[in-house]
Amino acid sequence: MAAITTTPAAHDDVDPNASYLDKKGLMSWLITLDHKRIGVMYLISVIVSFALGGIFALLVRAELFTRGKTLMDADTYNKMFSLHGVVMVFLFIIPSIPAALGNIFLPVQLGTKDVAFPKLNLLSFYIYVFGALFGVYSMINGGVDTGWTFYTPYSSSDPAHGGVGTNTSVIPMTLAAFIMGFSSILTGVNFIATVHKMRAPGLTWRRLTLFTWALYATSIIQVLATPVLAITLLLLTMERFLGLGIFDPRLGGDPVLYQHFFWFYSHPAVYIMIVPGMGVVSDILATFSRREPVGYMAIAMSSLGLALLGFLVWGHHLFVAGMSEYATMVFSALTFLVAIPSGVKVFNWVTTLYKGSISLQSPMLWALSFIFQFTIGGVTGLFLGMLAVDVHLHDTYFVVAHFHYVMVGGTVMGFVGGLHYWWPKFTGKMYDETWAKIGWFFVFIGFNVTFMSQFVMGSRGMPRRYYDYLPQYEIFHQVSTVGSWILGVGFLVLGIMFIKSLMGGAKAPRNPWGSAALEWMTPSPPPTFNFVKDPVLTRGQYDYHLATEEELYDGLDDPMFPSKASAKKEAHA
Amino acid sequence: MSSADHAHADDGAVHAHVSPSLFYVAVFVGLLVLTGLTVGQSYVDLGKLNIILVILIASLKASLVVTFFMHLRWDNKFNALIFISCIFFIGVFFAYTMNDTDRRGELDPDQNVHILPKTGERAPGGRAAGEGHEGTGGTGGVGEHH
Amino acid sequence: MSSEAAASVHEAPEGAHGHDGHGHHGPKWLAHHFDTPAQQFDAAKLGMWAFLAQELLFFSGLFVAYGVYRSWYPETFRAASHQLNKEMGAFNTVVLLFSSFTAAMAVRSAQVGKQKATGNYLLATIACACGFLVVKYFEYSHKFHAGLLPGRFFHPHADHLVAGSPPLPETASSFFSIYFMTTGVHGVHVLIGIGVLIWIWLRNNRGEFSKEYFTAVDIAALYWHLVDLVWIYLFPLLYLV
Repeated sequence: MAAITTTPAAHDDVDPNASYLDKKGLMSWLITLDHKRIGVMYLISVIVSFALGGIFALLVRAELFTRGKTLMDADTYNKMFSLHGVVMVFLFIIPSIPAALGNIFLPVQLGTKDVAFPKLNLLSFYIYVFGALFGVYSMINGGVDTGWTFYTPYSSSDPAHGGVGTNTSVIPMTLAAFIMGFSSILTGVNFIATVHKMRAPGLTWRRLTLFTWALYATSIIQVLATPVLAITLLLLTMERFLGLGIFDPRLGGDPVLYQHFFWFYSHPAVYIMIVPGMGVVSDILATFSRREPVGYMAIAMSSLGLALLGFLVWGHHLFVAGMSEYATMVFSALTFLVAIPSGVKVFNWVTTLYKGSISLQSPMLWALSFIFQFTIGGVTGLFLGMLAVDVHLHDTYFVVAHFHYVMVGGTVMGFVGGLHYWWPKFTGKMYDETWAKIGWFFVFIGFNVTFMSQFVMGSRGMPRRYYDYLPQYEIFHQVSTVGSWILGVGFLVLGIMFIKSLMGGAKAPRNPWGSAALEWMTPSPPPTFNFVKDPVLTRGQYDYHLATEEELYDGLDDPMFPSKASAKKEAHA
Repeated sequence: MSSADHAHADDGAVHAHVSPSLFYVAVFVGLLVLTGLTVGQSYVDLGKLNIILVILIASLKASLVVTFFMHLRWDNKFNALIFISCIFFIGVFFAYTMNDTDRRGELDPDQNVHILPKTGERAPGGRAAGEGHEGTGGTGGVGEHH
Repeated sequence: MSSEAAASVHEAPEGAHGHDGHGHHGPKWLAHHFDTPAQQFDAAKLGMWAFLAQELLFFSGLFVAYGVYRSWYPETFRAASHQLNKEMGAFNTVVLLFSSFTAAMAVRSAQVGKQKATGNYLLATIACACGFLVVKYFEYSHKFHAGLLPGRFFHPHADHLVAGSPPLPETASSFFSIYFMTTGVHGVHVLIGIGVLIWIWLRNNRGEFSKEYFTAVDIAALYWHLVDLVWIYLFPLLYLV
């Protein structure tokens, strides 16, 4: 039957037992041009960033456990939630799936040797690190208390020059985000060129994985939106440093203009955050339902749809900021439109499960949680997009719960799910499935306890970014804080599980999950140039009905190949 | 990858379009003429038309540079698509932002004023008395209108 | 791994994977992860256009700020633009347009394999770029002397303003903030362009380019054209209206 076949490579013969991890030594990592190694370096960086952002989060929630002062004063609290946001958004979530998992797997899923511009790829990583250093410098100098959004004039009016705003370390932090933005842009440029120009023979657009489609759409957003953030932060820096006056009402400027500029990037940015997660979910669902995702083209096009429509709705962050009423109406209507592609995906995913051959192993648990939580997050986003409703819910915990449901319940769970799914492939080791399920359980329960209570208190009027609050909200805050501890325990369990896997996990087979996609047709871990022989595709990557048994079955106990499993048992009897 | 056909087109070598030198000179002269036109136009006061004309002429010049100097005319169509969609998104940015900034206070008489109409009270902060947005529609201005 | 590949094996065309006896995958300038020169060239151009798109969006923020403030303070902008020297601006425009012409000619020379001509056209482009910056220096000097500086440094000295110009309203500081931000960011890009063009000139000098491989010259020229494109809009919007 038709299969993914390979031709002899044009370059020297590749040892099938060689892996990209073989070459040792720090320099072999620091000056590598191998996209997989670069991806692993990004992965370590984003995990460290996640831990740092998580610590800030735990401190924020701990402070809110009781009314008034619990651990820190109000100014410090403002810094804690601001730094939580900055670290999580710029250091963790934006690069997480694209730069870490995407870098490792995009060329493999395309059947090619590397990304289009490997040196640019390494440069992107170092730009990220350089930017992060500015962020660390800012934190050492007291951090920022402006919120991760740096709204003017509080952030732009420097008291050192007669201004009325904050005197915290704003400029280094905005420069950090400015610099890291270029890492994001260059990664996007690289991926677009790679997807267009470096597909293996036979890999038509209709045979791409949905993860690849998602990365492609994300890259478009990264390239078009991030420069606007760059110029916004540059203007903010100059405003603070030179007193430009563009955002200062005392000089004829307009603070709301800053919000327009900031959200023109930051709204598409949330699609940079969620779309790759959706891609991961599509791929995991396909593998663990053993079928092609229903509505493959619809899902692929909806990723592009989100990329396009995501640029038209930024004003919904400004509904009560003082925009003209016409603008608010336009943006509200458009926000309704942008919910449609997301809905398309959710319906297609659910339909994929129907009559699929479902296996509830750990990656699948994360994908299923994503669907549940993203739906809640997405629909509450729609509530917030309704102008009249937003007037009441803006700047309450309802908004906080909404975006944590999509960013944590969505993206983080997609990221962790992808990490589980692809762990055997890029490390060559298996992790402990039982502990994976335990870790998932704690994260799932912890997350929902933490943030469901925030929907309730937000709808009852609890404002966000407040250090102190009225007595009626205390119980909700306490429930939420306890939830955050359960969440923390879950991540700790996962962290230990993955470290133990690295130190002595079972050797991973080529295709532990029985997937039909291209990355599972190469050894675990892959050789440096990804494939032993250059692949040529003669079927789609979700064509389970066309894949051969040899491609799918890897000697593990598998319900789809019961005769093989029983034969193995007999052989060992 | 087909093997036998179109050996000349499919040999993997780069086949880029080469423009004649004189053609580039012609484009350059065209750009100079347009520059002269726009500078000349700046000495004539046409009111609102000035800025529209100036943007139009600049766009013509830009089109010449992009199409011919930057080779988009003969390049892979997708590169042109990248450029056009970029312009489209810039347009969205402009249109929606100015849809807001130009229409502040159109529906709500209390928005964007410096002196509250009902009480005569001045808004704290902002510019000194007598200043205001010169060009806003509605009730924005201080001093002249209220 | 996979099995019976008989019917579906496709061999890559022989010419693309030229084995030149050293076990090399192709000519020296063909990167290992590309199969053919055309693939490498197309990828580079596509990547560069994506990068240019983001540069345009970067500048778009400045233009939107200009648009918003012009729309709010039309009289101020009209009055303040008289402080800018139209003739110097027009001269700079012509200089940049000419540099765009020489950049395009440099690419053309590289495409037909004329190394010396390529080098000369690149030098011409660099010279024009430097000329642009020199004129800009004079313009900025005048602004400094007249106290027409951005933001909190704005202290106009009436005696240093352009003779016969309309009086400067108090709100003129916004115009000059925008002026310095836009021309400043543009100027930084000119500087970067000079650096890039010098690097390409050095590479051309070493004989790295040929009829088959001129990609780097093409890419550098595309960047330079972008710098020109931005100025094509900046000049009339700041100086002429």
